[in-house]
Amino acid sequence: MTLALPTTRDEDWRWSDLSALPALADAAANGGAVVPRWIGEGPRLLFVDGRYDEAASDPGPVTIGAIDAATDHPLGRLATGAGWTLSLDKDGFGGTIEIVHIAIGGANHVPARIMLAEDATASIVESYIGDGWANRLTRIDLARSARLMRAIRIDQASGFTSLRDEATLAGGASLVTTILGAGEGGTRIDAHIALDGSGAFAEHGGALLARDAQRHDAAIVVRHAAAEGTSRQLWRAVADDKATTSMAARVEVARDAQKTEGEQSLRGLMLKRTATVNLKPELEIFADDVKCAHGATVGELDKRALFYMESRGVTPDRAKALLTHAFIADALDRIGDAPAREAFLADADRWLEARA
Amino acid sequence: MLKIENLHAEVDGKAILKGLSLTINPGEIHAIMGPNGAGKSTLSYTLAGRPGYDVTEGKVTFDGQDLLDLEPHERAAAGLFLGFQYPVEIPGVSNVQFLREALNAQRKKRGEDALSGGDFLKRAKVQADALGFSMDMLKRPVNVGFSGGEKKRNEMVQMGIIDPKLAILDETDSGLDIDALRVVSDGINRIMRTPDKAVLLITHYQRLLDYVKPDFVHVLAGGRIVRTGGAELAHELEREGYGTIAA
Repeated sequence: MTLALPTTRDEDWRWSDLSALPALADAAANGGAVVPRWIGEGPRLLFVDGRYDEAASDPGPVTIGAIDAATDHPLGRLATGAGWTLSLDKDGFGGTIEIVHIAIGGANHVPARIMLAEDATASIVESYIGDGWANRLTRIDLARSARLMRAIRIDQASGFTSLRDEATLAGGASLVTTILGAGEGGTRIDAHIALDGSGAFAEHGGALLARDAQRHDAAIVVRHAAAEGTSRQLWRAVADDKATTSMAARVEVARDAQKTEGEQSLRGLMLKRTATVNLKPELEIFADDVKCAHGATVGELDKRALFYMESRGVTPDRAKALLTHAFIADALDRIGDAPAREAFLADADRWLEARA
Repeated sequence: MLKIENLHAEVDGKAILKGLSLTINPGEIHAIMGPNGAGKSTLSYTLAGRPGYDVTEGKVTFDGQDLLDLEPHERAAAGLFLGFQYPVEIPGVSNVQFLREALNAQRKKRGEDALSGGDFLKRAKVQADALGFSMDMLKRPVNVGFSGGEKKRNEMVQMGIIDPKLAILDETDSGLDIDALRVVSDGINRIMRTPDKAVLLITHYQRLLDYVKPDFVHVLAGGRIVRTGGAELAHELEREGYGTIAA
């Protein structure tokens, strides 16, 4: 397979490192055994190497089949063929659906489509584990007053995880996406969220933790096309060793999108001076009656707080872990599903403890 | 318990302590007074091991151990407590979580069993009640949004929970009104005035010493102790100022 990948000369990909992808795309799956980690007891789907594992799944309202979700996104367009679809109306299943993606070397591409009818609600928790390149395209359409909560944890032991979301929200619809990157592989998170109906609400954020020579990279665009929309991007980027965590978050407010409220909070934490955090908040506003706040800060752990804790007996490693946990916790607190929130926080703590 | 011999320390390459010697025995309360810039806070931070406070000469032993050889958290586990002049705010970490971590890390270091959540909360409640500190405040992030007086009371709650052998209290009286001063003083007396413990009070004013009676008062000036006396020395300093005595 010949891959046409973007390069760092392309502004949207300037902090990306896709160099591992051609080799992964050419590699065969190695069949490594990874046990899925389920959080809840509800409907669940397991994908191994991009293939639906029917025997290990209990799909509930989710169906499997060809997906019609065309995109010109350079990674998203690779995800073609069979995938999963969740289509719900307001009397449909209201609980949490869990999806675990196990990569086993090589590359796997899965498209997905989520369609929520008027007043429908859904909660989806996805986990990416294993080794290899997992590439996903998720097309989301929320009708009037539909509500979708997504929590995604990227926890692969190696390789690369690339996620492309394309979402459209009708009036009063709500989409909350929270992502935790706590694995050992590389990551690229792309999202384009369009608030097409008035009074729509979108929240997109999370915490990306990187160490060694790891690179996490997110590029998020939220577009307000209609009036009275609200959007929040709350990201916490942590980089240790020689790792790089990068985040480009853009809010676009169209001419007719009056009374838009946009908020961006991008905060970076460097655990070592050799690490890199790139933050790029962008606002592009064509309407004149909007409230958009954005903040971007990069710093180190508070040395006074570290000494204060150590002077009480807390070990230096533990003090750093506690302060780092505090740094990322508000981003993960947005996860609505309580067991998922606990599981994600526990994963983050495991990452923090592994530094010691 | 604590023996400081000829201690020299510098901050940012600037010599602050210049040959300080002091011995504190169990059961004793010592007060160190002195003008601004005498090196009072440098002494407390140097003893607690704060990075950037470099010992260039001298020796400090604590219960026979070389104190300067220990990391800050090891000094805490050995029984040393520093009450901060400016307690630090830690957003996102609750007092309860912080103190339980601290106490159990110390216990682990000493080879003792960890305290369970329930036992810890009982212990915390006793200390909080004694200092007029609500459990609600203990559940809040460390010192965040606390007034100056609340922060100082929190230091005493922490001291009560941790139950150290030696407390170095750096201007614990600053920023307290007279009622809060009494509460904090009662805390110091209740927690620390026992035959096997000791206190080093660092203060600018004699006021605190009316409530916590020192056995010895030392005057620190120019990075060394220039005079030592009993409780009456504090009154003399209050009357006459540091100018003549420290000279």
